[in-house]
Amino acid sequence: MITVNLEPDGEVIELHGTKTVIAVLNRLKLRPSMAIVARNDELLTSDRRLTPGETILVRKVTSAG
Amino acid sequence: MKCTRCKKLACVSLPSHHSGFCKDCYPLFFTRQVETAIRREKMFTHGERILVALSGGKDSLALMLELKLQGYDITGLHIDLGIPNSSNKARAKVENFCDMHDLTLQVLEMEKEGLPIPEVKAFINRPVCAVCGKVKRHHFNRIAREGGFDVLATGHNLDDEVARLFANTLRWDTAYLSDQGPMLPAAEGFVRKVKPLFRLTEFETANYAFLKGIEIHSAPCPYSGGASFTNHKKLWGELEHRSPGQKFQFYHGFLKRGKPAFPVQEETSGVTLTPCDECGSPTSVGTCSVCRIKATVRENKAKAEATQG
Ligand code: SF4
Ligand SMILES: [Zn+2]
Ligand SMILES: [Zn+2]
Repeated sequence: MITVNLEPDGEVIELHGTKTVIAVLNRLKLRPSMAIVARNDELLTSDRRLTPGETILVRKVTSAG
Repeated sequence: MKCTRCKKLACVSLPSHHSGFCKDCYPLFFTRQVETAIRREKMFTHGERILVALSGGKDSLALMLELKLQGYDITGLHIDLGIPNSSNKARAKVENFCDMHDLTLQVLEMEKEGLPIPEVKAFINRPVCAVCGKVKRHHFNRIAREGGFDVLATGHNLDDEVARLFANTLRWDTAYLSDQGPMLPAAEGFVRKVKPLFRLTEFETANYAFLKGIEIHSAPCPYSGGASFTNHKKLWGELEHRSPGQKFQFYHGFLKRGKPAFPVQEETSGVTLTPCDECGSPTSVGTCSVCRIKATVRENKAKAEATQG
């Protein structure tokens, strides 16, 4: 299971069976250039692998305005 | 993915540039894009004084920090709109940021100007965002002029510019299409306006902001009814995904080949601008639109108070 902190929505989402960043983005219906993804202080490109139990930040980049 | 520059593990992938960068090389890419924008569009020089409009969003803060790192003479200007539960937070963010990075900041309070935005919403019978935008542009220009600044810089990025251009193209708004761009020269009563981030996408600015520790988490303005360009931005996100580089080509092609095809209309319409009787800002009708809005708020507020009792 991967825990996703989704910003700016402020939602916490739990995803099962997602092993890569791109899989998480697909599940959230986001293209790689529509959000930045980070694990702790590290930015992740969409080809990076994730380990079950990890928590990542997905921050949509479109500013309202 | 490996960094295009140093071959370490990349943290940002940029298909439109056929590259990826690690956390040390990415800021260099960002800096180079801003340098190119400033140089090619002849935005400003190291000898000029630059006023930077700071809303508190990631783009304006990233711009401010980057211009400081490039050694420019910059002053930030934040407008406190006076919206309860919102403006105070934006202002605190800007103030903390400027403190932390040792940046010069001016704050203009709409409350003290006699035109807090909640009163615009309550007493002016027009969409609040249209008036708010007008008021902000008015004061940015006025303060730049009065403070003797050479140029006003804003944090608009490529996505902002593309979304706006797209909307105006759908409407064939020829007035817009004839005089928009990343650098608008000074004109009678108006300072030069520049957008040094216009070559960078929202994604690229967001990565820079993250790596530079700029905290961007913030609640949207309570009056924003879902920003108007958001749908166009989504469409363009999809287009860009299918053909990376499309956004930049569309905007760049407009500047090179589209814009020159629309003759500037203002010059032929024959309006002459004179300083506003009250505030000195350029206007064609004696008292400028912002001073008139202020007067209307005052009148309608007095009327409302009279009927209340
Ligand atoms: S959303 Fe509208 S009212 Fe709020 S700051 Fe933006 S323009 Fe002003
Ligand atoms: Zn590198
Ligand atoms: Zn005026």
